[in-house]
Amino acid sequence: MKRLRQFTKWMKGYIHLYFIGFALLLVVQYFRSLTPLFLQHIIDNIFGDKASALPGFITRYFIADTIPGLLLLVAVVSVAFTIFRLVFVFFNRVLFAYFMENVAYRMRNTLYDHIQNLSFTYHSNAETGDLIQRTTTDVDTYRRFIGEQLVEVSRLFFLSMFAIFQMALMNPRMTLISLITAPIILTTATIYFTKVKTVFDRVEKAEGKMTTAVQENVTGSRVVKAFQNEKFEIDKFDERSTVFRDESMHLSKLMAFFWSGTDFIIFFQYTLTASFGIYYTIQGTMDPGQFIAFLSLLGMIVWPLRQLGRLVGDFGKTIVSLDRIDEIMDQESEHENESDFKPDITGHVTFRNVGFQFNDDNKPLLKNINFEVKPGETLAVIGKTGSGKSTLMNLMVRLLETTEGQILLDGNDIKSINKHHLRKNVGVILQEPFLYSKSVYENIGIMKRDADQEKIYSAAAIARVHDDILDFEEGYKTKVGERGVTLSGGQKQRVAIARMLLENKPVLVFDDSLSAVDTETDIQIRRALMHYWQDTTVFIITHRITTAMEADKIIILEDGEIKAFGNHASLLAEDGLYASLYKQQTNLDTLEKEVV
Amino acid sequence: MYNLEEETYEDYSLNTTTWKRIFSFMKPLKKYVILTVIFATLLAVADVGYPLINRYGIDHIIETGDLSLLPIFIGIYIGYMFFVALLVFAFIYFAEKIHNNLAYIIRQKAFKKLQELPFSYYDRTPAGWIMARMTSDSRQLSDILSWGLVDVTWGGMMMIMLLTVMFILNWQLTLITITVLPALIALSIYFRKRILKAFRQIRKQNSKITGAFNEGITGAKTTKTLVLEDSNYQDFDRLTSNMRRHSIKAAVFASLYFPSILFVASIATALVFYYGGINVYNEVITIGLLYVFASYVGQFFDPIMQLANSLARFQQAQASAERVISLIDAELDIEDDPEIVEKYGTIENPKRENWEPLKGDVTFDNVTFKYKKGEQVLSNFNLEVKAGTAIALVGHTGAGKSTIVNLICRFYEPTEGRILIDGVDYKQRSVHWLHDHLGYVLQSPHLFSGTIRENIRYGKLSASDADVIAAAKLVGAHEFITKFEDAYDTEVTEGGSRLSVGEKQLISFARALLANPRILILDEATSSVDTNTEKKIQEAIKTIMKGRTTFIIAHRLSTIISADDILVLEHGKVLESGTHDALLKNKKHYYKLYTNQFKASLEPGRH
Repeated sequence: MKRLRQFTKWMKGYIHLYFIGFALLLVVQYFRSLTPLFLQHIIDNIFGDKASALPGFITRYFIADTIPGLLLLVAVVSVAFTIFRLVFVFFNRVLFAYFMENVAYRMRNTLYDHIQNLSFTYHSNAETGDLIQRTTTDVDTYRRFIGEQLVEVSRLFFLSMFAIFQMALMNPRMTLISLITAPIILTTATIYFTKVKTVFDRVEKAEGKMTTAVQENVTGSRVVKAFQNEKFEIDKFDERSTVFRDESMHLSKLMAFFWSGTDFIIFFQYTLTASFGIYYTIQGTMDPGQFIAFLSLLGMIVWPLRQLGRLVGDFGKTIVSLDRIDEIMDQESEHENESDFKPDITGHVTFRNVGFQFNDDNKPLLKNINFEVKPGETLAVIGKTGSGKSTLMNLMVRLLETTEGQILLDGNDIKSINKHHLRKNVGVILQEPFLYSKSVYENIGIMKRDADQEKIYSAAAIARVHDDILDFEEGYKTKVGERGVTLSGGQKQRVAIARMLLENKPVLVFDDSLSAVDTETDIQIRRALMHYWQDTTVFIITHRITTAMEADKIIILEDGEIKAFGNHASLLAEDGLYASLYKQQTNLDTLEKEVV
Repeated sequence: MYNLEEETYEDYSLNTTTWKRIFSFMKPLKKYVILTVIFATLLAVADVGYPLINRYGIDHIIETGDLSLLPIFIGIYIGYMFFVALLVFAFIYFAEKIHNNLAYIIRQKAFKKLQELPFSYYDRTPAGWIMARMTSDSRQLSDILSWGLVDVTWGGMMMIMLLTVMFILNWQLTLITITVLPALIALSIYFRKRILKAFRQIRKQNSKITGAFNEGITGAKTTKTLVLEDSNYQDFDRLTSNMRRHSIKAAVFASLYFPSILFVASIATALVFYYGGINVYNEVITIGLLYVFASYVGQFFDPIMQLANSLARFQQAQASAERVISLIDAELDIEDDPEIVEKYGTIENPKRENWEPLKGDVTFDNVTFKYKKGEQVLSNFNLEVKAGTAIALVGHTGAGKSTIVNLICRFYEPTEGRILIDGVDYKQRSVHWLHDHLGYVLQSPHLFSGTIRENIRYGKLSASDADVIAAAKLVGAHEFITKFEDAYDTEVTEGGSRLSVGEKQLISFARALLANPRILILDEATSSVDTNTEKKIQEAIKTIMKGRTTFIIAHRLSTIISADDILVLEHGKVLESGTHDALLKNKKHYYKLYTNQFKASLEPGRH
């Protein structure tokens, strides 16, 4: 029951089309089972004066005085009937395609939307390759199963049922004889398709190993060459390539056995049907036309039978795919039960006893964080890697939720504010910003697609990336990412800053966002920005003292706790960690001693 | 692995030179090819013969009522049963032999070529491209060639025999029924082309969707912080809507194809009904023959569809074939002269007995270097390094550090000028001789899947376990390795993700040490590691540099300081050289670099 729901839930809204499709399929296959009967009619009825096996709604057109006249009618009616049948076939196929594509369309969109809305924690732990596999290959497996494989198998099943029906109408005893081997074929096919799966897995595994060898060889080509291990690599590859070939050949042999073996059984069935058919025809319990029709109808049963076995394997695969998709869908969206509270924000930020700890962690990443930043002020957070700096930023835009204490924005707990609204007001510039595979121009204007060119250019200029962009072959039209140019880390960071300049944000967080830019440019950009964002509350998260020292307030973070708080002058006077960091990073002599 | 690579499918006309080359790979499989052709032909014979057996039953047994002939009939049937089963087994078996072996041959040729190709090839060819040639293309090509052979042979033979037998049986009726053949052929070709085109469109859309998913997942954090969910979704919806539209369009075409073929076939059947029926009525032909003709017209379209299908698939595979050939026949930029190969041997058969020892003097004599399609990186560059000296190369990105190293390794060769090793132009000796004495420690250490032991041993395949452990001890890796449950037998997963960056570096040091190279290249990592590991790495570097000519692309101050000589590079020129102290005192370029850059080396991140 659960399986059924799992299987049909994606079809919602289209399921009636699916049923209509199968109903049509039934009609189409009934029509098809009639086709061998035209010849039976000619032989038995026209030439032999025996009963026609064709149904009345067809035979009633066969009224003529002469035999050639009758033959002409049969010929014409058979073509007309075929046209009629094929119209059905056409619409039936299109209907199934329409159904299948719509289900797939919705599946893809739902998955995309859902994945976008999954929590940041989910994304940090997710494996990209695996997720993509699920959203593409698994969706396709399901799509093909419902739209192609299940339909094909049903088609064959309906056809053999109607063929048996037509046979039984003509001669029940001969029908039984013609079905003797059916169970054997079906069982053989089912066993084969189940067994072959394990062999198939082995082939895939062998291929995977081989692929790994190539991949490592290609990505490590420098190492291979420098250590002169080409021959070793060739041997290693050859070994795996050979295993893959041999495993594939093993599968091929099984395949050859199966198809030839079932062919053997099928022709055994033909032998039985033909021999008994001839015997009964001579005896008079069967007509010659019926005998010929039996041979045709038998073909509609025995050949499809071995395909039916495939269904078992395909269905198994589909269920696995659906389970994998459900694993994604079962994850809760971070916007579930979202509040509608969207207050105006001026940028007064208060941290009150804020702490954070991952569920499965035994140590808090942040504890007891208290500070206040007034609108327009700048706060710098300094700390080493692992001190909790980035967690602080993640908490401010609710990528992570505080596990203790509160973060207040203009006096409102940010947990009460609509997440999208919060993130629209608290801008974050990441250390490793992602650029979308669009043009540089579009990437800068990504939040404001209607921004005019002048604004984009000036934003790029303020972020000191304008000249870099003009240096690209296609300037602002240069495509970024996968299929375009690769921007350096520093260029990416500057593009990220430029895109933030197109919108006014009451609060801005720089998460080490100039770390890949050299110190000089860093200072230039920051000066320009400070001017631009005078009224904005700015958080600067950094490990460069020079970046921090101009801030109104400075926090030193260590092991998740605030170690010191003040401004440049007061902290320097304290002669604590800040002072020693300052010396380390600005004074060469100290540095030299430390390293040598 | 998922394939994000965009395939551009154009309409290809069949290129005979490409296919000739591909066919030449089949030479070792000649035996299988002949057998496949024979069995596919026999199968066509069996298919054409089958209705004739039933005709015998109808005309000679049923019509005469002579039951004594029934045993003969049964005997023929049983013989046929064995015959067909054997044929089916044989043609599948031999076609698959070709299929699997051809794929193997293509892969092997391509992989061997990959090992011979110079480094420049890897620089300009994305790994994904190479992977696709080795996997999907080789598979597709071998599939098409093997099964295409079956389809073409069977389809062609079937057509010929069908028509021949029909003409022999009754040429008048045959002439009447084959009037539909041109229509069948035309329809098949027309639809095949259209359907293929439509499917290419779908594949293109599909790869775009995969790309969009990839972007949605890897860019999740940015999307969330910029609140771009809605606009991303709209972009995505445009892609999937397109996909849906194209898919349905393709389905409409495909749904028209089969019924239209069936329609033409039904006309042929109707012709048999009428003219055949009249002939039976006039007692010109027997009922058995009427049955045979009705069966044959039903079989007409099968071979035609197969042939059209094969042709279309060959066209489709044209692109695959060209890409595979472009890899296998890629020209080597760096190749030893024949007389050098004669003396030094090849990768597979090195003649080590002729190899001179390498001391380690390196000289750049007026070297000019230009990348293909690129600007000049070095011009008239001169440098002399005595064996055993450690040289640190310092400068901004693009200053020429990597180029110098690539030239020393002979990954590239000078465009002009010479590079001398121990006073002899290195082109006078083989690439393998040089590489045999070369060690390379990478910026981001590359480990192969396998155990830690295997990865260290990669430096010298003949090394004993004791050697491996000794090397690990020397670089200070032994300690953490033995902490793992399986110690040296710990599996390193793909890309070595189980180990930290620092640990991977230590392992690659051990590997280099084991190789005991005369010339060592150290492409230093900029990624940060914890202080403890950092110290270990520094010590390891000192250990492995000892007594070797070392070139370091340096980022760490301590490494630079420990070098014998520092070269400050800019735009392929040496601005300054000397020891750390001397250069600092100069207060020029090095000093500036030093104050701006290296002080930041306390911070994580690249500069």
